[in-house]
Amino acid sequence: MPAPTIAAPAALEIHESGDAALRVVATSGNAEADWATVHSLAGWLATAGVDGVHGAVPTYDSVLVEFDPYLTSARQVRAFVLLAMRQLDFTGATVREPRRFEVPVVYGGSYGPDLDRVAAEQGMDAADVIARHTEKTYVIRCLGAPAGSPMMDGPDFPFPVPRLKDPRLSVPAGAVSVAGRQAVIAPATAPGGWCVIGQTPLTVLDATREPLVPYVPGDELRFHAIPEADFDSLAGQFLEARP
Amino acid sequence: MTGSFVILQPGHSVATDLGRTKGPAFGLPVNGALDQFSAKAANILAGNADNEPLLELTALDFRMRATTDLLIAVTGAPLDLTVGGRDCPQWEPVSVRAGETVAVRGIRTGLRAYIAVHGSFAVPTLLGSCAPDTVVGFGLKLIEGTELATQRTTAPITQPHYGLPLFRLGLTKPDFTTHPVIDVTDGPDVAEFGTTADLLFTSQYTVSPRSNHIGLRLGGALPERQLTSEVLSRGVPVGAIEVPSREELLVLHRGRGVTAGYPVLAVVTSRSLDVLAQARPGHTITFRKTTVADATATHRAACLELDRLRSTIQTVFGLLGIGAGERWHELSPASGS
Repeated sequence: MPAPTIAAPAALEIHESGDAALRVVATSGNAEADWATVHSLAGWLATAGVDGVHGAVPTYDSVLVEFDPYLTSARQVRAFVLLAMRQLDFTGATVREPRRFEVPVVYGGSYGPDLDRVAAEQGMDAADVIARHTEKTYVIRCLGAPAGSPMMDGPDFPFPVPRLKDPRLSVPAGAVSVAGRQAVIAPATAPGGWCVIGQTPLTVLDATREPLVPYVPGDELRFHAIPEADFDSLAGQFLEARP
Repeated sequence: MTGSFVILQPGHSVATDLGRTKGPAFGLPVNGALDQFSAKAANILAGNADNEPLLELTALDFRMRATTDLLIAVTGAPLDLTVGGRDCPQWEPVSVRAGETVAVRGIRTGLRAYIAVHGSFAVPTLLGSCAPDTVVGFGLKLIEGTELATQRTTAPITQPHYGLPLFRLGLTKPDFTTHPVIDVTDGPDVAEFGTTADLLFTSQYTVSPRSNHIGLRLGGALPERQLTSEVLSRGVPVGAIEVPSREELLVLHRGRGVTAGYPVLAVVTSRSLDVLAQARPGHTITFRKTTVADATATHRAACLELDRLRSTIQTVFGLLGIGAGERWHELSPASGS
């Protein structure tokens, strides 16, 4: 059976980003195709194992390729990226079956201190915000800062969610947040400027396990509301893909 | 034979290496020694491979006691180094006898110093690196009483003619200054700043006390983005210069979050990132524009200097019988990365 293919867009920009990185941007104008392109490219570079190339960081429409400028150079890596694109054009990227994750969340109160404000800004009540947040199946678009956060296209709210004017110095691990048109879970305690609407009792990141986080870009994730009373009994369990 | 040493006064020290290069693909910053040249030089001078665990000291005084004979090398910012009360040189291999105390005092002009120990020491790793990651809470915490085991020990090297220096290694030490010039290349988003981008090269910037391993914050004339459109999160390189607020310029260093949504005005060269790692709050910085080709050439020249040092050290240590078989572990099969 031939591998399913993703057509690589003809449009690709490669920008210098210092002496040890290149930014490759897919510019087809189709967000889904651009996302697929940069993730296929990152996957190809990771498996190719090129001397001097440390790795690739794909996000939405771009991928940062980092390298050691002693062992290779921006010029060589650029040529290599173009070669990879031709290869992907020819063979197509392998598409892996997405895994599915279910995330229990306690919404509002001390678990989600920004829930009421987000609701007010959207002209909804808190229950509607929870309903919108739990009704969607999210695709994990990329791993972001801090520490492998699953970045997702957010719930279907009427308006983008403004970031906090004064970012918090510490947001707990498991915080479930929204900002702009994006949604995320915090794998680790870190400063943050996103609006926290809830918290999951599950452990997302464990520095003693590999992989550090259980999901990869392309996996799917759903949230469901749980009562506050269930938080402690679930605390400490790992987030794991549904069988 | 294995050796060991005990931390007596940790100051602000960490066990680190050249960084978690596999981290960014998993959303973790690369971290590792901020002044990579000094860190590599320390390991080479101690007869180790470049990337072995070593100690990074930031600003504060530090003391450790050798429980066995050791060979160490101290590099980085100027400082006062004593072993068993004797003044000892930086940027050279130094013998420490069992029971002696190694003291580093008065780190000055720069901010960071490195201590490599012949045979390195065993510390936990994550994705192939021992570099601490404060966000995920990884890294060995060094406190008073922490004992680190080295893989080898070395009998003291003695100089029969008192007063003569033991080594003439011919290494050009980096300059340390309170007014560093930092080379940058144009960032991928420089056009978004219009003509205000030139301010970067006509102004002086002062290092803020809010600077750390994640990034340096610099006060001075700020280029301004001419667009207001939202930027999608994307991977940002170490060295990226951003203007996130109206108060300060942000220069990302090795602890930087891997993705961000700010446009990248310029990128500090690999060689100048080492210089920035030594900038203290209050130091003034001037930026100078260069090209990626020139930056690469400069970086390679520094690497070649270290290659020459490595070859000299191997000859000298070979003649002295130090670290025989030191390269054996490089023969292990390549890990499947």
